[in-house]
Amino acid sequence: MTTTSELATTAATEPRKRVKLWLAIGGLLFGLILGAVLLLATGVWRLGPPQLHGFVMQSPHPVANFTLMGAEGKAVSLRDFRGQVVLLYFGYTYCPDVCPATLVELKQAVQALDKDAAEVQMIMVSVDPERDTPESLQEYVSYFHPSFIGLTGTESEVLAAATPLGVFFEKSEGTAATGYLIDHTATVLLIDKKGYLRLVYPFGITGAEIAADLQYIIKN
Amino acid sequence: MTAVTPSTPQHTISLTTRLVRGLARWLWILPVLAFLALGYFIIARPIQVLPRITLSPGYLLFDQQGNRLTSEDMRGKITLYTFTHTACQPPCVATSPFLQTLQARLPELEPSDMPIEFVTISIDPERDTPEVLAAYARDLGADLETWHFVTGTPERLKWVIGGGFGVYYDRRDDGTLALDTAVMLVDWTGTLRAEYRRSLPDIEIVLRDLRLLQQELNNAEGAGRLAYEAAHLFACYPR
Repeated sequence: MTTTSELATTAATEPRKRVKLWLAIGGLLFGLILGAVLLLATGVWRLGPPQLHGFVMQSPHPVANFTLMGAEGKAVSLRDFRGQVVLLYFGYTYCPDVCPATLVELKQAVQALDKDAAEVQMIMVSVDPERDTPESLQEYVSYFHPSFIGLTGTESEVLAAATPLGVFFEKSEGTAATGYLIDHTATVLLIDKKGYLRLVYPFGITGAEIAADLQYIIKN
Repeated sequence: MTAVTPSTPQHTISLTTRLVRGLARWLWILPVLAFLALGYFIIARPIQVLPRITLSPGYLLFDQQGNRLTSEDMRGKITLYTFTHTACQPPCVATSPFLQTLQARLPELEPSDMPIEFVTISIDPERDTPEVLAAYARDLGADLETWHFVTGTPERLKWVIGGGFGVYYDRRDDGTLALDTAVMLVDWTGTLRAEYRRSLPDIEIVLRDLRLLQQELNNAEGAGRLAYEAAHLFACYPR
């Protein structure tokens, strides 16, 4: 009863106030919605997981293990890095352009992680086992970042590791100065802490993009 | 009726409260709507995608003209892989006639910039020399621009077919070859998107899957991409 009369009084005696109130509420809602849309559009707010930069994989099985040779002839398996996010790259030390460019980006990705860097292990597998010794390979990758490791093996062992990961490699002619070159797939593979292939990066990805994905993958 | 003479500010407050309450009473409808929309998306699956199973293997093989063919050559194309040998006789299931039929039916698909190609890998490099493969391709009426007949060293074949695609084959003691039937569908990024195993797939299903890949590619930008990523997230796979 009281309420009805209240409303009636308000509506009858103060129509302007009511209009103002509606305008205020409308304005407020409009502002909130606009703000939310802007935040979502600019990516400050996120609904759900972030947009990752590589090609996302949903493999039902972990990556098949492989064992190769690390520095000082030590046997190193992919399995040893469960609990860490692995960035895997296939390259070689005589590589004139693509490999150093990629390793620089990977270095920047790891550096950008700051104290989370220990959660990530970068591994370069040599596709040129004929020329890359465990020592020269390790020296080469350490030059980019001290935490990076290099692995090599017989050509057959490297082939077994590379093929299922979509990596092809083949000797090709170079110049007298460079010696022979190796054509190889230049993707970077991201394997999560449980050993599943999660992302594949094409050549040309930046360190900042990889770092953004790593921050998400480390926590998830 | 009681005399009501509240001051103006109180009036405003009470009206505001009423409005907020009124709105609040209907707020539940938002999560319900969102939930229904999500339910529709997951159950009715208006957008269907093929799973991104894993990477397809990297390889270096040689075709019916003795030219090299690598996994990198197939990047930027949709590729169907089959495994056979030219002397394949029952119980070995011949996969080439299947591709032959499919080749004839590809024009049914929407015209697309994304080429669809076939790679038939022979498990018998000893017998299937480039010349033998070329004759085999001719008999099939294969369009050699888009259908590659390849083989390679036994070691590379082992890692590509067995290690990469996970397809079993072996040379029995009597010299005959054992081979599992499999057709593999790989997308433009080199990602395995469908595997049809044990028996030859229904050609309609393969055509449907090719259409799904084309649709996903057509929606690779903007809002469409978000919807397709959501379809991947909720595993909206065709049945």
